[in-house]
Amino acid sequence: MRGATILKASDDKTRQLNKHTLYIQANAQLYSMRNETDLSPTALAHYVRGQLATSLRSRKPYNVNLLLGGVDPITHKPSLFWLDYLAALAPVPYAAHGYAQYYCLSILDKHHHPDMTLVQGIKVLEMCTDELKRRLPIDFKGMIVKAVTKDGIRDIEFNDDKVVKCP
Amino acid sequence: MSRRYDSRTTIFSPEGRLYQVEYALEAISHAGTAIGILAKDGIVLAAERKVTSKLLEQDTKPTRSPPGGFHKCKSADPASNMICAVAGMTSDANILINFARQSAQRYLLTYNEDIPCEQLVRKLCDLKQGYTQHGGLRPFGVSFIYAGWDPQRQFQLYLSNPSGNYGGWKATSAGANKASADSLLKQDYKEDCTLKEACGMAVKVLSKTMDSTKLSSEKIEFATVGQTADGKIYQRLWSADEITTLLKEHDLAKDASAEDK
Amino acid sequence: MVGKDCVAIACDLRLGLQALTVSNNFPKVFQYGDNVFLGLTGLATDVSTVSDLFRYKVNMYRLREERAIAPSTFANLVSSSLYERRFGPYFVSPVVAGLDPKTGAPFICGFDSIGCIDFAKDFIVSGTASEQLFGMCESLWEPNLGPEDLFETISQALLSAVDRDALSGWGAHVYVIEKNKVTKRLLKGRQD
Repeated sequence: MRGATILKASDDKTRQLNKHTLYIQANAQLYSMRNETDLSPTALAHYVRGQLATSLRSRKPYNVNLLLGGVDPITHKPSLFWLDYLAALAPVPYAAHGYAQYYCLSILDKHHHPDMTLVQGIKVLEMCTDELKRRLPIDFKGMIVKAVTKDGIRDIEFNDDKVVKCP
Repeated sequence: MSRRYDSRTTIFSPEGRLYQVEYALEAISHAGTAIGILAKDGIVLAAERKVTSKLLEQDTKPTRSPPGGFHKCKSADPASNMICAVAGMTSDANILINFARQSAQRYLLTYNEDIPCEQLVRKLCDLKQGYTQHGGLRPFGVSFIYAGWDPQRQFQLYLSNPSGNYGGWKATSAGANKASADSLLKQDYKEDCTLKEACGMAVKVLSKTMDSTKLSSEKIEFATVGQTADGKIYQRLWSADEITTLLKEHDLAKDASAEDK
Repeated sequence: MVGKDCVAIACDLRLGLQALTVSNNFPKVFQYGDNVFLGLTGLATDVSTVSDLFRYKVNMYRLREERAIAPSTFANLVSSSLYERRFGPYFVSPVVAGLDPKTGAPFICGFDSIGCIDFAKDFIVSGTASEQLFGMCESLWEPNLGPEDLFETISQALLSAVDRDALSGWGAHVYVIEKNKVTKRLLKGRQD
């Protein structure tokens, strides 16, 4: 659409991400088939980190930042990992990538607490997107929200059309 | 007739047998006995150590069998989360154990988690299988009994042999007198036995399958995998004193006074 | 930092992208065996890569040799492993601390990113706050500190130094290594 340079940049990035995740997805699926069990989120995160770290020092490195969320199939513990294109991996309670970090992390610092529920989480997420709509110079065209629970991944309805006005 | 087929590992005989693999199994049946028993709260591995000569240096540690010998038994650890007992050629076992350790550590490097037991066993068996098929090589003359724990399947006991087959067991054995050890285990095995009961069962079976009626700590090795009160998994190779105490408990120890004579 | 029959090693917990803090739970001190420790500062990805690599190497060493690795042996392993990458180095500056398993003598040393060993009798510092740490350690450290005094000294040195460095801090891990005993303490520190 309009604002071509900016929108194109984000378009580019998504493709790259898909390409890389396709490769990861294929490998994770191969693991599941071979071993009749799924990788745990921590195991997968470290595997992806390893791949990214190898790629970093190759001729054509992957240029992608990731957030990895998952629920352990055995302990049912949820976990979130922050991973950047340099392959620095950190387990975190909340995270963001790109410019959003500068706007969202302070909100999350204030409003996140360790034993919050999904509903509360969505509320904080909404605060974040509101802030982005208010302050981010780019129109990011809405959000896709998914929740990972022990029963699987499900899409969450999210109101993208909400108009946020500056106070 | 059989000469035409048994010199090479890769060729089936007309009866559909692989002679080299069977010879490898035969070699193992001359090794000391090793047995493994799965209990509800742990696993015990017990092995016979054949003392070939008085002059042979006895290792102070129970983990190492005398180097370079044929048909020795030993307990070694392929990775930090598993231990295994070996029946067969020590030299072959060393190669395989090194391979297993590397595989396990490589998995840890990739996934930052211990390798699930069955995957490690399968890796090793894939290697063993290769030697029954690709030309010009002799199969590994070793059977392993593996004991391990992982979060998904808890305590596990596996047996693998030179053909590259493996299976999970509640109680199993390898080496000399395997047949009689197996039938004794079948007779004595109780579902839901404790680790302590399993240890008792192990010495009893060993005492019956070994040539000498009275056992001593020099002749056998013991290793256990268990869980501490706070849920931690431990692997332990028993010291000579602990083995002696266990033997005395079951009245199988060699009489000290008889030894002096 | 060396004390009397003990050593201490400490790190902050911050992981950041320049001025942006990403995580405040990113330890940089790693344990290899009973009393060998490695601290790693530098590029976060290489901190993870190098620490995992040494876990692999040390585990294989222990299984092969059937004994724990000594800190001096480990230092040489670190040095040679880093020099392997002479022309494409890991961007880390490691610190090794430990007690010799036989004599119990304290051992510390530091490295540059290509494995040149810097032996020291008193203390080794590394990272973005190294200049501040040099100052703090020079003034606070004295010979023959006991384990408790050593803990106090290293903690004060670290906390005061990182307070003067915008790129460090956000909590700390402190290990005091004595014969047969390792004490790990978490310092909350300033979270701002």
